[in-house]
Amino acid sequence: MNTTKKTLFAQSMEQHKGIVYKVVNAYCQHQDERQDLAQEILTTMWLAYDSYDATYKFSTWMYRIALNVAISYYRKDSKRVDKVNANEECIVQLADLSQRGERSEEIRLLYQFIGQLDTLNKAIMLLYLESEPYENIANSLGISKTNVATRIGRIKQALKHQFEAQES
Amino acid sequence: MNLDDFRNTWQQQNNDSVAAITINQTMLTEMKVNKQMKALTNMKWARIIESAVFFCIIVVLGQYIGNDFSVSAAKISAVILSVFAIVGLAGNIGQIVLVSSVDYTKPVSELQKDMYRLCAHKLQLTKLLFMSVPFYMAYVFIGFDVILGVDLFEHLAPHMVWFYGVSSVVLFVATTWFLTKLNYNNINTSWVKNVIQFIVGARLVSMAQFINNLESTER
Repeated sequence: MNTTKKTLFAQSMEQHKGIVYKVVNAYCQHQDERQDLAQEILTTMWLAYDSYDATYKFSTWMYRIALNVAISYYRKDSKRVDKVNANEECIVQLADLSQRGERSEEIRLLYQFIGQLDTLNKAIMLLYLESEPYENIANSLGISKTNVATRIGRIKQALKHQFEAQES
Repeated sequence: MNLDDFRNTWQQQNNDSVAAITINQTMLTEMKVNKQMKALTNMKWARIIESAVFFCIIVVLGQYIGNDFSVSAAKISAVILSVFAIVGLAGNIGQIVLVSSVDYTKPVSELQKDMYRLCAHKLQLTKLLFMSVPFYMAYVFIGFDVILGVDLFEHLAPHMVWFYGVSSVVLFVATTWFLTKLNYNNINTSWVKNVIQFIVGARLVSMAQFINNLESTER
């Protein structure tokens, strides 16, 4: 891959790297797992960059890869992987969500709610929060628009019940 | 707080999220392969080796059928086992094609189904082995012919032929039912889940649950 492509990739990545942070926080509970998943997502994006079609939004392409890697991500033995990672140089550094600034409490609550959802609903929720239209969510996930709408309706209900239960 | 409030909070954290992640771009763009790519390459090599084994079995059985060709129970058994080996070889070639076409930019449901098919390979091989159970006498006939040079079928009493015939039919019905059930569509049935978990592991169970969940609301 030539230098121009490397530069273009680096620029686009710098602009949209927050997506990786959001996806890993939604799918992993522990910091070391997030770090590992973020590295897998970023390297998959780099290795797939040759096939990136510029007619699509870079963020949409990124979300699709990030969600696919996160959903396929499986760690059989976290201790074993941690030992391996300790000896590897890190491509990515993530700030710990629990040690974040002013808005941390609201964000933590938000991630806590996302964390309770099943794998598919987490993906729907992430795309919904990014204000993606239902059609785009359906295309990215390969499901029908009706299915997306039904699931978002259920998520809203679940959220409502959760807050009612907390208040009572 | 409702989902729309959450959406506003989410939009406001964009800058924070960008600041919370630091990427070593130089190191990243030097990467030629990652863990998933390595796993897929290993998978591809394993399937190539298995294909070679199936191919050898087909050649050996073909030679056995071809040498001194006659219609005997042992030769018919060899034909039946060759069919299983050909199915195994075809399945492996399909897996190699599938591994080569894994594309993380596909819609989530499509890629996850591809990944399920890849990870379910061990399950498919086990199913193939189970499918040959009703033909268990084929192994016995070939064994007697190759090791002792005896056509066992000719020495069997009629009631034994009936017994083996009926037991094969019963086993065929039982294994067909069992193998049809071992599918992601039935992953919510506890024994199906346990059998799949025992044969392939927890990862396939979680993938099967994901695909089943995805398809259940599509139906």
